[in-house]
Amino acid sequence: MDFELPGEDHPKRQAVRSWFEANPHPSGADLARAGYVVPHWPRPWGLAADPELQLIIDEEMKRAGVTAPRNPVAINNCAQSLLTHGSEAQRQKFLPSALSGESVWCMLFSEPSGGSDLGALRTTARREGDHYVVKGHKIWTSLAHEAKVGVLVARTQPDLPKHQGLSQFLVDMDSPGVSVRPIIDMSGHENEYNEVFLDEVRVPADRLLGKEGEGWALSMIQLQTERVALSKPGAIWGSGPSARDLVEGLAETGALADAALRDEAAEIYVEGEILRLLAYRALSDRMNARTPGPEGAIRKMLAAPHGQRVLDLAKRAQGARGLIAGEQPFPTQLSGDGPFDDWDYAFWFSPAVTLGVGTQEILKNVVAERVLGMPRELDPTAREPWSETRRKGG
Amino acid sequence: MNFALSDDHQVLQQSARTFVEKEISLGRVLVPGATVADADYAGNWAKIAAMGWPGLVIEEAHGGSGLSCIDLAMVLGEMGRSLAPSPFLGTLFGTWAIQKGGSAAQQARVLPDVAAGKARLALAIAESNGTTDAPGREAVAVRSAGGWRLTGVKSFVIDAASADWLVVAAQDGGQRAFYLVDARQDAVRVDALPWRDVTREVCDVRFKDAVAEPLTADDATLWPWLRDRILFALAVESAAGTQRVLEMTTDYAKERTAFGRPIGAYQAIKHGLADMLGLSECANTAMLYAAWALSEDNARGPVAAAMAKAYCCDAYVSAAHRSIQIFGAIGFTWEMKNHLYYKRARANAELFGGARVHRARVIDMVTKKAA
Repeated sequence: MDFELPGEDHPKRQAVRSWFEANPHPSGADLARAGYVVPHWPRPWGLAADPELQLIIDEEMKRAGVTAPRNPVAINNCAQSLLTHGSEAQRQKFLPSALSGESVWCMLFSEPSGGSDLGALRTTARREGDHYVVKGHKIWTSLAHEAKVGVLVARTQPDLPKHQGLSQFLVDMDSPGVSVRPIIDMSGHENEYNEVFLDEVRVPADRLLGKEGEGWALSMIQLQTERVALSKPGAIWGSGPSARDLVEGLAETGALADAALRDEAAEIYVEGEILRLLAYRALSDRMNARTPGPEGAIRKMLAAPHGQRVLDLAKRAQGARGLIAGEQPFPTQLSGDGPFDDWDYAFWFSPAVTLGVGTQEILKNVVAERVLGMPRELDPTAREPWSETRRKGG
Repeated sequence: MNFALSDDHQVLQQSARTFVEKEISLGRVLVPGATVADADYAGNWAKIAAMGWPGLVIEEAHGGSGLSCIDLAMVLGEMGRSLAPSPFLGTLFGTWAIQKGGSAAQQARVLPDVAAGKARLALAIAESNGTTDAPGREAVAVRSAGGWRLTGVKSFVIDAASADWLVVAAQDGGQRAFYLVDARQDAVRVDALPWRDVTREVCDVRFKDAVAEPLTADDATLWPWLRDRILFALAVESAAGTQRVLEMTTDYAKERTAFGRPIGAYQAIKHGLADMLGLSECANTAMLYAAWALSEDNARGPVAAAMAKAYCCDAYVSAAHRSIQIFGAIGFTWEMKNHLYYKRARANAELFGGARVHRARVIDMVTKKAA
């Protein structure tokens, strides 16, 4: 057992650092071609990198001041499915622009009626000749307003039980019949989330990802991908301020002199350090080709409320000033330039982190059932034909 | 970089678990009204000594195995997991004190006997209010013509009644120093406290002109090093206990039925168990990090040990309390083990400073580093 991270003289690090020295201002396409966008993928897209090399690449990119292409849905969640379930034509058409960040993707998953019960979704895709015709209404879609590609889950076989009749499609977001409307969330920001209306949208049949009926399995894999969290301890799904930033800020303002606040800050700090170590343990398990332990699901369950605590204490330390829109808690600002590197915005956004990608309650069910072997929740609609559930008003 | 346990460590842990499960029983302390006198301290020590565990961290030159804190965690964790009543922990603390602070002659006099299972030790440092801060004022060392003498009292001494030798922290002219004391002399009186954790012997020790011999290391050399290891050891027990409590409670939630379903089918129970699992995984991670940092003499050792003590002990208290709630009223009876875990958790949380004390130290250390 060794908790030492790859050092400055690590041979793998030297190679990566040389590349960034030779390419100080790489474009997204340059990074994609070098394999640095998805290093854990097989060649030619990635470098078949082990987690150690992934960590080094993350660190060296940060050191070089280079920002990775911002296309989280493709890079972190969905594009990997093209490797495993896509056709060669789909890979060639979609992957280069996805990995370079030129073509932003969004996930057309959640629906107004569904919430956590994704499998109950109602959007349909019916086959007509060499097209599918899609009709439905999606919600909570990040990036839909700028996305060129939407990864859609829709029901192709309504007479099968709800999880079996789903399929996935790669939809051009500029297709006729697609309309996007921003949701203004409680933070006041537009376009963090959107609604997407799909009105008789014609999708060519060769945009089906995998086979008909594989939509549920693909969606589950995409939602569980966790590479994004490897080296990011931030409060909002890995981005934004960390517990270390909190303690630095509180030290800067002198707020740590208050014994009660100091103890709370310490508790959050310790939790943050442990979550960081848990992430590294999961990474080591993968390096050792061990079946990943329960750390991944558990870490998600712990990291979301932890992030809320980080932001909550920073906000409380502001007192009444914390209610002034845009007011930052500490004199020194965070170095990142992402939307969540604004403490005030991150705080007002933070109620969402225990809702997005499944609520905290559902996640605890999953942890208790899959890891501890508790009996599964009852779903009376899981085995009957979906059309039957709908007929009964479900 | 590899944060996983090696195969050797896993084998060591598994063999310790097999031994403890087979050889150590809590049967006699599960009889209502039992005290530590019923815990078979001496019998368990004989079995543990036969395994060579008292010598785990003692150098080979003194007849021990010279193993690291990671190895120790594998074995001590199994004793914490089973609440195995024995003077192992007190002996370990005394061993560390003599290793770090004793002269070559003192080490040669005591450590081979410990490694052979023939001598047991205890560390007397806490004051009657529980603090371990220097210099302490309740025990005083005086130098006379015939050598050093100790007078006064030390409190919360783990395993003192079993000990053959004590390492005692006493004040001498405003400074704290450590002394090796023969526990069997008449000038030393040990009173076992009516300690709630009946799987552990915790005592007050009184000295009246007791013959003592100073260790060679001064307080500033010995105590920080010793403190980090003590905090770590309590974290090891607590992390392992947390995991055991989770397992017991998980099993029970699958077996016990109410309203036609196992109680584990209900979300209130599921979510409680999921929370306990989170505590257990985090405690184990914090403990392993401290084990690694101390094994390597890494500069992060003091922070890692303080974090592990604060987190693991709080987690243990929380998990053990939740376990009583999930078991329901049966978990509130003396005949069940739940209360033994809860009492051990509460005791570990308070001994050598509560979580707040160590969290404050963590903040001191990390903000000083940042400045």
